[in-house]
Amino acid sequence: MTLPTTIEEALPVGGVAAEAVAALAAATVIGTFVMLNTALAGPWAKRKITAAFTDRISVNQFGPLGVGIVVPDAVRLVSKELIVPEGADRPAWDLAPLVLVFSALFAFAVIPMGNGVHLADPAVGLVFVFAIASVASLGLVMAGYASNNKYAFLGGLRAVAQNLAYEIPLILIGISVVLYTGSLQMSEIVATQRETLVSLGPLSVPGWFAIVNPFAFVLFLVANVAEVGRNPFDVPEAPTEIVAGYQTEYSSVYFVLIYLGEFVHIFLGGAIIATIFLGGPAGPVLPGIVWFLLKIWAMFLFTQWLRSAVPRVRIDQLIEIGWKRLLVLAFVNLFATATVVGVLAA
Amino acid sequence: MSDNQLHDTLDEAQQTTREARTGEGVDERYNSRLRQAFGDSPFILTKFDAFMNWVRGNSMFILLFGIACCSIEMMHTYATKHDLDRFGAGVPRASPRQADVIIVPGTIVSKFGPRMRRVYDQMPEPKFVVSMGSCTISGGPFQEGYNVIKGVEELIPVDIHVPGCPPRPEALVYGVLKLQEQVQAGESAPVTVKPYELRQFGDLEEDELVQKLAAEIDEDDLVMRYDWTER
Amino acid sequence: MSLQRQPVGETPDGLDYDALAELLDGYVLDREQHLNCEAFVIRPDDVAAVLSTLRDRAAFDHLSLVTAQEYRDRYESIYHLKKYDDPTQELSLVVPTPRDQPHSQSGADVFDTAIWHEREAYDLVGIEYDDHPDLRRILLPETWQGHPLSLDYNQDKPQIVPLREHANPMEGRTDVADRSDTMFINIGPHHPATHGVLHLKTVVDGEQVVDIDPDIGYLHRCEEQMCQQSTYRHQIMPYPDRWDYVSAGILNEWAYARAAESLADIDVPVYAQVLRTMSAELCRICAHLLAIGTFALDIYGEFTAIFMYAVTDRERIQNLLEELTGQRLMFNYLRLGGVAWGLPEPRAEYLETVRSVMAEFPDRLEEYHNLLTSNELFQMRVLDTGVLPAETAKSYGATGPVARGSGIDYDLRRDDPYGYYDELDWEVVTDDGGDNFSRALVRLQEMEQSARIVRQCVDVLADWSGEREIQSDVPRTVKPGGEVYRAVEGAKGELGIYIRADGTDTPARFKIRSPAFSNLQTLEVLAEGEYIADMIATLGSLDIVLGEVDR
Repeated sequence: MTLPTTIEEALPVGGVAAEAVAALAAATVIGTFVMLNTALAGPWAKRKITAAFTDRISVNQFGPLGVGIVVPDAVRLVSKELIVPEGADRPAWDLAPLVLVFSALFAFAVIPMGNGVHLADPAVGLVFVFAIASVASLGLVMAGYASNNKYAFLGGLRAVAQNLAYEIPLILIGISVVLYTGSLQMSEIVATQRETLVSLGPLSVPGWFAIVNPFAFVLFLVANVAEVGRNPFDVPEAPTEIVAGYQTEYSSVYFVLIYLGEFVHIFLGGAIIATIFLGGPAGPVLPGIVWFLLKIWAMFLFTQWLRSAVPRVRIDQLIEIGWKRLLVLAFVNLFATATVVGVLAA
Repeated sequence: MSDNQLHDTLDEAQQTTREARTGEGVDERYNSRLRQAFGDSPFILTKFDAFMNWVRGNSMFILLFGIACCSIEMMHTYATKHDLDRFGAGVPRASPRQADVIIVPGTIVSKFGPRMRRVYDQMPEPKFVVSMGSCTISGGPFQEGYNVIKGVEELIPVDIHVPGCPPRPEALVYGVLKLQEQVQAGESAPVTVKPYELRQFGDLEEDELVQKLAAEIDEDDLVMRYDWTER
Repeated sequence: MSLQRQPVGETPDGLDYDALAELLDGYVLDREQHLNCEAFVIRPDDVAAVLSTLRDRAAFDHLSLVTAQEYRDRYESIYHLKKYDDPTQELSLVVPTPRDQPHSQSGADVFDTAIWHEREAYDLVGIEYDDHPDLRRILLPETWQGHPLSLDYNQDKPQIVPLREHANPMEGRTDVADRSDTMFINIGPHHPATHGVLHLKTVVDGEQVVDIDPDIGYLHRCEEQMCQQSTYRHQIMPYPDRWDYVSAGILNEWAYARAAESLADIDVPVYAQVLRTMSAELCRICAHLLAIGTFALDIYGEFTAIFMYAVTDRERIQNLLEELTGQRLMFNYLRLGGVAWGLPEPRAEYLETVRSVMAEFPDRLEEYHNLLTSNELFQMRVLDTGVLPAETAKSYGATGPVARGSGIDYDLRRDDPYGYYDELDWEVVTDDGGDNFSRALVRLQEMEQSARIVRQCVDVLADWSGEREIQSDVPRTVKPGGEVYRAVEGAKGELGIYIRADGTDTPARFKIRSPAFSNLQTLEVLAEGEYIADMIATLGSLDIVLGEVDR
């Protein structure tokens, strides 16, 4: 049962209006939920995690562990002067940050987060996620070229090259999951993974796809890091090479949107991984939503860990890894899964 | 009324402050449209201002900007031992569009002066400047050099000066804290900088170069001109 | 190689200047005696011929420095030549040019490094070099009027420094501007990877660098003018700290001390030499740590772990130096004829602290090796990028870790001994790779050797039984005469000082041979054809400090 239906049932009236209200309310809830996570991650968690890797303390002035910094950081960033560079291609320049954020936010609509927090459950859920998330490439190239800045332009081009190179393996690995579950529907994918794989005495190992096919899981992890543009694949931003890449010219609200957009994408990557490889909200004792949060934050931690410890590869090496290795391995994985699934079915 | 004069009454003092904050041509940072529309300080705006000052004073992105010796100590200030990020000011941004504070860490020379001014101009308001080291105060040990600009205030307004050659990281941390204090109190730097916009070359001796440059100058694309003999 | 002829003038007891003069018969007008070597006076239009003869026949393969200066009656360019095999064999070529027509032939055809050195001479002193490939100002803005180190320069004259938006300074100058599929991009002077205020005028074709022109002078702080205004005894010493400012201060101070001491004939007590050696090596460790840290920064991204670890280790060593000298960064510790003060009391405790930090240091280095050199992704990024062949390095006058990373076995600490180095047991590290990886590796291993030197110095100091003499007798006012060029092994390479003394208490000409200046010149060769990312990494591995490049 999805969140809008729950709300609609709780409403005293029915009909189209109630349906719309319920959908809107549910969307707001989920949007806020995701944005809260990113707001926590961007100004605070990222700093604290990086600080932990570099033996520092980082923010500690307000609230427990300095979490209060989120408020001044957010308000201050939003209240800055918005500078529009001369020669910026206006509609594209203004739209790019929105495209970046909403491409990720929309995809969250079909992610089951446990405890009924699930906006919609279309039959083509997985396709929807990949399709919507790919729109981000468009946002990146818009931001890149519309800024009228050469660094931004280089960053935009890098981002597109990278996203194209890594999206195809990503989707191919996704297909291998679909072969296993036999459905594109997110709730179905999660439900399939809930079945017990093997029982070891009192312990029953669930059929999470990460356990069933760790090879695909690792491949997906790598491709996902590239997709969200973190070390070692953070070439589109590459602060020491091209200043800040496609976001060089953005300030104020637009910068906040781009900055948050990146984190929404990281969380979306985590959410996809959690859903199709780690059993979604499944887990013992704690409620599903908590497990879901734990999983996406674990993925966030993973990206931050890479950021602190791994060098950035060069753009040509990145493309090479994508097209020549990851893609090949993704096909190998696909055929292997297809064979295994076919043999099992027969 | 002289600025330095002590005020006899509270009213008078408030009047001066109000004029300074809302008048024409004063520091734009505190002369928002909202405030112009509301006129005198109503309660909400005052509280809002106080909140915004608190916000700005407690969270700052600093421009990743290294010039000379002081930038080494600046790096140390970001790093493990001194950890400027404890005070919410430790996120270096490489793009000036995303920075609030520019720490000017080193000697400014004639060739770099206009570029630095340009970087400052690219930062969005409200922006603050911490000048680090003696060179940015007066030219420091290189003051007598033919190529050295005698202090960063020749080019941009400065909020906090941190003296030293170079200042220890502790001193820079103190400087940033003082800046935060100042911003929270709603004060801004006195604008001591001289107009840097394009002017006629009237005050310069006419010679070949001046004539050649004056002929070449296209007022649309010239960002600034620095004439340092006038100090 | 029996076919190879013995270089002219090389004898077992040193250089035979008469043989060299014979080799250059017809060119040499006069022979002068400088304090470090002999100088041959030649005609302005014979420069290239003499330089190439000396390089090919007499094995003078290292053009260390070109000094330009103005006298009341003439201009003078001095080419300081050395040999990579034995830097104690030196020869200076003095090229006088008349005041009314300061034209001299360029040596750029023979030594690539002369390109920048002669541009600087033109910029600051005003000597014009004929046949120079690209004679324009290097340190000062293009619109500058006058030559500031010439005698009649009026410093109060207004100067105009224009800056134009979207101006393409490469237009018309680069050979690739016509191609429509390239893009011109300014990297710097404010850019996170330029290690200060370097400006790289870059033409890129997609991601590849087609043409690059380093534009320096954004930190030209008139160091030479400052030193020429200051007195030998006290006023000059603080300035060297600010050339290579990444806490390599004592190494720089030593360069000045060595030149001035040989000029004024001052002896340094052995105890002070040990102190100098120890503190200088601590400085070298600090400087190399920063080099490694920023190199990692260029490759890893923002302020990440390795950079922070490097800075943390620097703090440890800076604490030691602070206790010894009283300063964290600008030490001002050396004096002519010794050092400012001895070890902090109690001595044994201080030496024990140094010893314990140095004992831990190999473990710390092991961590850098784990994080960097044995990291496969790191190797993927830096191996075989920015390759500098040894011959090119020599032609550009590269020294220090950059030269040693290209397999040139050249270290002044061993080849031209000074201080206490020849009493100690250590090795010169070289690597044949010539790429970014080799340069980083050489730095890491050099730190190990430096730690070894420091440990031995500590032992010597702890067992010291004689008089703890930290300074010899030096007259209150030093008024030497003569000309001298002396170099030490700085953090970045051969850091040389040329001083012409005219009997007053300030130098008449003070010229700094900056290793980073020569090393940076190789960037054009290294970066062209590479990817932008590799260009940035190469710049990081060259480890330049703009304070030293621009002076």
